[in-house]
Amino acid sequence: MGAPAKRQKREEFRRKVAAATTEPSGDGSASPPGSVLNLPQKKYYRQRAHANPFSDHLLEYPLTPAHMDWSTHFPAYINPNATQMNAAGARRLLKDVEVVDIGCGFGGLLVGLAPVLPDTLMVGMEIRSKVAEYLTNRIHALRHQQQHLLQQTQTSTSSSSTPVPAPAPEPAQQPTTEITDNETPETTFPTTLIPGGYNNITALRANTMKFFPNFFARSQLSKIFICFPDPHFKARKHKARIVSETLNAEYAYALRPGGLLYTITDVEEYHFWILRHFGQQQGPEGSAEDEDANEQEEGGVKELFERLTPEELERDECVRVMMDSTEEGKKVSRNKGNKYVAVFRRKDDPAWPL
Amino acid sequence: MAQNFEHPFQGLQFVQKVSGGPRDVLVASSGAKLYTYSADSGQRLSVWPQDGADTSTANDTGSNPENEGPPEKKRKVDPEETKATAAPAKKKPAAWSHIPILTSTPDGKYVVALTAEDKCIRVFQIEVDGTFLELSSRPMPKRPCSITFMEENEILLGDKFGDVYSMPLIPSAEPRISKAAREHQKRIAATNLTVHTQRNLKSLEMQKQQAAKKAAVKADKAQEDAPAFEHQLLLGHVSLLTDVAFVSLPSPDPSSTRRRGYILSADRDEHIRVSRGPPQAHVIENYCLGHSAFVNSLCIPQWAPEILISGGGDPYLLVWNWTAAQILQKVPLVEETTKAKDVAVRSIWASSFDSGFSNPTRLILVVLEGSPTLLSFTLSSDGTLTTQKPLTTSGNVLNVQPHPTANTLIISVDNIREPGSTQDWRSAPASSQTRLQTFTLKQGGETLEWESVPSALTDNINAAETSTVSAGADKKAQTALNTSLYGLENLRKKTYGDDDAGSVL
Repeated sequence: MGAPAKRQKREEFRRKVAAATTEPSGDGSASPPGSVLNLPQKKYYRQRAHANPFSDHLLEYPLTPAHMDWSTHFPAYINPNATQMNAAGARRLLKDVEVVDIGCGFGGLLVGLAPVLPDTLMVGMEIRSKVAEYLTNRIHALRHQQQHLLQQTQTSTSSSSTPVPAPAPEPAQQPTTEITDNETPETTFPTTLIPGGYNNITALRANTMKFFPNFFARSQLSKIFICFPDPHFKARKHKARIVSETLNAEYAYALRPGGLLYTITDVEEYHFWILRHFGQQQGPEGSAEDEDANEQEEGGVKELFERLTPEELERDECVRVMMDSTEEGKKVSRNKGNKYVAVFRRKDDPAWPL
Repeated sequence: MAQNFEHPFQGLQFVQKVSGGPRDVLVASSGAKLYTYSADSGQRLSVWPQDGADTSTANDTGSNPENEGPPEKKRKVDPEETKATAAPAKKKPAAWSHIPILTSTPDGKYVVALTAEDKCIRVFQIEVDGTFLELSSRPMPKRPCSITFMEENEILLGDKFGDVYSMPLIPSAEPRISKAAREHQKRIAATNLTVHTQRNLKSLEMQKQQAAKKAAVKADKAQEDAPAFEHQLLLGHVSLLTDVAFVSLPSPDPSSTRRRGYILSADRDEHIRVSRGPPQAHVIENYCLGHSAFVNSLCIPQWAPEILISGGGDPYLLVWNWTAAQILQKVPLVEETTKAKDVAVRSIWASSFDSGFSNPTRLILVVLEGSPTLLSFTLSSDGTLTTQKPLTTSGNVLNVQPHPTANTLIISVDNIREPGSTQDWRSAPASSQTRLQTFTLKQGGETLEWESVPSALTDNINAAETSTVSAGADKKAQTALNTSLYGLENLRKKTYGDDDAGSVL
């Protein structure tokens, strides 16, 4: 099979999935009983691992956060009052998006977090279009499967019970639908109901380095995740890193005081880079090899963040998910690599100088 | 032969009471040179850089691209260059073809110019006799796009890479001790735990060998791209910066007398960011989002510092209450019906004129890229822009400066290209090459109206030669000259297909 045939097959598959996803079934209620969406397969969504964050691409982004149409992303959370419109004339939600995974990749973190924070709206942002498409389809299939399962359990209990949302079995349990990196098409279906039914997660394609403030207003977010960012090893590529003195100011803008910014990487040098750029005087002696070390004076964006202690990390369920559920985290575990975690709390804005 | 054009004036700047002397001076940039003229008579006082002692004509200074082509864009910053003294380079031809930015400090004491290809920020003092005294020249690592000033004459500049720096107007004498210079031990960030493919592992192995070799040699050119002079990174966009402004407002806290400074920065990706002034530039107050194409010009009138007027690749201006990120008004720039051509706002100026009424007329002047029309608006105290009669000149408007004393407006116009075009050259140079025009407000009229008035200043400047551009320049040289004056359309996003074709085959 030649490369063109492979590509053709991929495109065909993706078209099929797209058709299945957009069919009027919507939340799966109208689909014929018995037919459950399969999870998409990664092999049809391959894309090279790096994207140039400086190029224009053909991105879609809202004019302002008030223009963002979240209703298509979270249909289960649409405000029932149809007169509630946002600035672009789209239906409003009952609550705001609060958690962002920057560079969500194939979505391991979101899928893992969905039952941990079942009532919090979370969005994954990914610059690679095919990867974002994969995750969108994956979430759609997961929602569909949960819906299906819910219907089954309801009918089996003679359907007299109340139409409550998903009963919550042990929330910490890993969904059985977890995708691992190397395996065969996913044909197994979940047997457990997940709190939230994956209605609280979504994915979209975006370049967060450029357009983060178009999506999120000041202090809108309670958590930002940056998991296994592209390390950009070369010094002249450091401007393309997702963590930098100047971008951190944007994260601080969107993060509410008390909100948390989670980072994890398997590259030790990048870990120290992160610590440096969030204001921790750390790193092995002589590792301050880059020009950004100039900005080491007091003040700067560092005064907006403080690092969480190891005990606080211990207590945080999200840290565990970040360590274990992300695709990259699993890969690092397989290769017996190290994982470096750092979590920072957003402090209040400093007072204006008097 | 009259087959030559004179270079139009790209930058204009009045400097009042130079060095405490008795007169005002007009500083103008034309081609690769700066000129000073007496603001009253238009008599030329000085040129910078001066021609060599030889009797070379302006044509031979090497500054004309049609002779030698523009100098290559400088890639590496030569630290030696910072030590350049006031003496202009005589033996070498100028290292730049034009001077895109010319401005002066608010107190008028210093003139700051940016030379194009070498990306040097040059600070001048104008002497009483009008000559230039170059105090410093600092090469930047990336092309600065906008230069303005903060309190105490600190330079604030935004560059092509999206970073905003501050630096002192007068650099301190001793060069900055580069932190990078101390014990620069380059570590390889990747390990065999983080790269896995065979090829990557192999290249990692090679890098390690290289690093071992280098350590033996002891790398002493540790300095990378960081300039050797004092400067501070204040904030950054991941985008090309187009304009930067600094404003200070009185503190809302009555007990505080300290004003609050803000930095407004505009970029190619439609954003206008409002940050606090240093030392808190990392605190973002808000974003003024509302443009759907690049933003190019920010204008905050001195008399209404809470109002921002912004324009760029959109066919409208936005008037903002910028402290609240609130749009007050959207002002169309072209008739709805004539949407044939993309318009781009080249620049916005705020200016006040004495029009015979008790209150000075406060105007917002807007020029579109490649247009001979200067649009004028009045701005009322509640922030409403009202369209007034525009003013038409003999060529594309390049720059506008209100005369400091004569209550007139000096407009620099393009004498090379056809009015309304950024590309097409006039077939032949006109006999008298009008590069500056003077306008004034008609007194006592019902509506606001401009009229062209004769002025010794502009007449004398127009009569004197500066540097010439051959009318027979070939296409390539023409294009180079065109882009040096008209680059805005390059900021527009291209709409060809997604470049995400990097799929694995």
